[in-house]
Amino acid sequence: MTELVQSFLDYFRTRSYRKVRTTLPPMTFTEVERDRDRYFEAVLARITEAETPVLRHTGDIFGFNRTIAMRFEWDAYMNNHTPDYAWAIERGFDAILADFAQKALSADEEGRAFYTAASKSIMIVLDFCERYRLAAEQTGCAKLAKALENVPRKAARNYYEALVFMKILIFSQRASGVQHLTLGRFDQYMYPYYLASLEAGVSADDLLEETELFFISINLDTDVYFGMQQGDNGQSLMLGGCTAEQEDAFNALSETVLTASEELCLIDPKINLRVSAKTPLERYVRATRLTAKGLGFPQYCNDDVVIPGLVRLGYDYKDACQYTVAACWEFIIPARGYDVPNIRTLNFPLAVREATMESLADAETFEDFFAAVEQKIFAHFQAKRRAVTSRKDDLHRMPKNPYGSIFLTDCREKGRDYTACVTKYNNYGIHGLGVGPAVDALTAICRAVYEEKSVGKDELLAALENDFRDAEPLRRRLLACPKLGSGDEVPERLMVRMLQFYAGAVNLTPNGIGGIWRAGTGGSLDYVTMSRDVGATADGRHAGEPFPSSFSPSIGVRAAGLLSVIEAFTRPDMKNLINGGPLTIELHTNVFRNEEGVRKVAILVSEFIRRGGHELQLNALHRDTLIEAQKHPENYPDLIVRVWGWSGYFCELDLPFQNQIISRTDYQV
Amino acid sequence: MKGRIFSIEEFSIFDGDGIRTTVFLKGCPLRCAWCHSPEGQDFVQEYLRSPNGCLSCGACLAAGNGKLSAASIDACPRGLIRAAGEDIEAAALVGRLSRHFDTLNRAGGGITFSGGEPLAQPDFLYECLSLLRGKTNRAIQTSGYAMQDTFTRIVGECDLILFDLKLMDPITHKRYTGVTNEPILTNYRAAAESGVKLLTRVPLIPGVTDTEENIEGICRFMRECGVHYAELLPYNRMAGSKYPLAGKVYAPPFDAEQTPTARQEIFAAHGIETKIL
Repeated sequence: MTELVQSFLDYFRTRSYRKVRTTLPPMTFTEVERDRDRYFEAVLARITEAETPVLRHTGDIFGFNRTIAMRFEWDAYMNNHTPDYAWAIERGFDAILADFAQKALSADEEGRAFYTAASKSIMIVLDFCERYRLAAEQTGCAKLAKALENVPRKAARNYYEALVFMKILIFSQRASGVQHLTLGRFDQYMYPYYLASLEAGVSADDLLEETELFFISINLDTDVYFGMQQGDNGQSLMLGGCTAEQEDAFNALSETVLTASEELCLIDPKINLRVSAKTPLERYVRATRLTAKGLGFPQYCNDDVVIPGLVRLGYDYKDACQYTVAACWEFIIPARGYDVPNIRTLNFPLAVREATMESLADAETFEDFFAAVEQKIFAHFQAKRRAVTSRKDDLHRMPKNPYGSIFLTDCREKGRDYTACVTKYNNYGIHGLGVGPAVDALTAICRAVYEEKSVGKDELLAALENDFRDAEPLRRRLLACPKLGSGDEVPERLMVRMLQFYAGAVNLTPNGIGGIWRAGTGGSLDYVTMSRDVGATADGRHAGEPFPSSFSPSIGVRAAGLLSVIEAFTRPDMKNLINGGPLTIELHTNVFRNEEGVRKVAILVSEFIRRGGHELQLNALHRDTLIEAQKHPENYPDLIVRVWGWSGYFCELDLPFQNQIISRTDYQV
Repeated sequence: MKGRIFSIEEFSIFDGDGIRTTVFLKGCPLRCAWCHSPEGQDFVQEYLRSPNGCLSCGACLAAGNGKLSAASIDACPRGLIRAAGEDIEAAALVGRLSRHFDTLNRAGGGITFSGGEPLAQPDFLYECLSLLRGKTNRAIQTSGYAMQDTFTRIVGECDLILFDLKLMDPITHKRYTGVTNEPILTNYRAAAESGVKLLTRVPLIPGVTDTEENIEGICRFMRECGVHYAELLPYNRMAGSKYPLAGKVYAPPFDAEQTPTARQEIFAAHGIETKIL
């Protein structure tokens, strides 16, 4: 990295600028007389008026960062989608304003109101950009001042102008109330500008520097963005993948982004990589070097599974080829879709527990019991479905966001706000939480109650009712049953059946707003929050104990090993679980200590993809996890550390050795 | 026939080509002063107690009449006891391993038998290797300490030999490993002549194996045998980490704090390429 990048990075890491931010009181709905047409426009106006254009550092060649923070009273806002950045960058706002003026002439009343409101917001943005241009001139950032003479009024002509335009789009959408704003297929829509700059004689190194400065600049404001946790801000970015013609779309800019991310080690943008059985091993090796940095990305998405899976759900093939991820892992279509992929979560362990308590006593065979579990899963889904029917009415009450809506193709073409649900895709996604513990509970019942008859039904029900009080030997027997990931056939077969039923119950169910429901295997914070109220389960889990995150073996299970885990979690037909939710695997940083280790992890990832896994997140374990494992060894029996020519379980190492590894990871990460 | 193993490790990546699954056979005739697998040394079944999280409640000992036993596993409220030692038929073991052949083969790897000392259960090892013939790549990781005919018979069923060369002086070898190195050197020579791929590994133990004299001796011997590549495994301070688990004491008779010397220049002078693992 260049000195300028290093210096800007150092500046960012001080976070000193955050201390001098002004916080405005939340904008209330009554300030606009509860007028849903005006609320977010007023928010945009309030923020841009209050903002002071400022370039914080010589490395800050983009500007458009926040000096103020402001919350909204209204918590239903546009979020978790990928706007059509390319449309704006390749046209410029002047052309867009002209187009809207033209469209308004032939539009109906609602359409005219939409184009008028959208144009008004664009004017607010343009005014603010002019203030920025003057500030850039005064502070001596001639490069930015010059770019702002062209963008965003006109189309970007080179990579730098396109980046400035991007920064304006991010700033302005955030300021108009759009949250969890994702970056989408950056290496595709920015590539023409990257090539234009190369052709104009700008060196690849200079373009890397611009990319790095841009990435640092989008990290500056993450503290004012909304999120479940700090860092949960939606700035995910997708690389690679295929074109509709089945050609490899990975390009020189994809490489540049990987390099920038590897050098900067920042949480944003969160890198995703689209791969397939055709992806060359070298690309996995390249990506694994990034994993080795310990940031928890790239997340891998499998084109061979996701694209046909989206087509099964009714997405057009060409649109499916454009897929990216929402803030976390849900597969969405940029520009053409406004899916709500995280609208509800289905709690599998709860469904299995309820079926156990209500139906186990009368179920003569395991098949009878399994049928009761299926009925329960179906009932849970129906309940979730009923719970969101009111959203349809809410949509007519929610504040509109005409400015955010123009970045959705169908909204701007039809002259309708996003709340009118006119986008080509308006689907709902449901997370499937706790697959691991649910399947383990099913396995224990299958094995101990029905096959071996070593546990009586009454005995089990009483123990579950009392959270295994005075029933520790029984709990031990349940814990000793095969678990998902332990290389046993039974849990894997039961997982395939359970997920097949779940997908069949959910997928393609109409959602009442012109879309359908899609089944997934994720679960954001739910794995902590939704496990708290679930009583003891037949896998030996105590009441309230947490579930694993996303699509993973249960916490505390000693898996047979990585190969067994990968083989188990690629067994279901993942094309039917396309709301997403990755298999999450944690590897100790020691695994990545040399090129041989990196290459072999890369082979493992390619194997996961070849076997039909849909999504994979690999983490290089860092110090904090190790410290946590030291405090709660019972939760980390599988944490493997490379010791010396051999591997051992971290929690079994003597304390001084653990401390040694902890201190060692400080420089390895 | 049945053999006794103490662990199966998937995704073993620093022990030979590709991604491998390593099976650890229980029992070893050597007692290397730097051994990191105390639970692999004895041929008998053992029970390991993780000291971390132990409540010192005594339930494990009570269940086993004063010592750890199979009953202790269930008795421990924290689940900290596990058995080291599982008796398994060769065919059953190969059946269990077969789940991953596709993956291992595509990843350029296979199965490795380590220990303990795999050659110490020669008939079981031979049967496993024979059953694996033609299915996946087969490796052994060995000290080379075995009767020559046993060694030759096993090597005939291997695709890769990971062979430790520790000390060239027979007296020093006996002092630090408990056995003499004569059969080892004889077998090494046989391995080099067998035509089976041989991967020499030299543990670098500070002040013991990493001396100029010893490395020089190893190099001369390797050259004599026509071997030109070695992997060096530097000692680090983790070797003793599992001793408390097995209820044993780690007391290395060398300065464990010292950093070992790789002496790659000596290898290079002998035309031997090296890699530090």
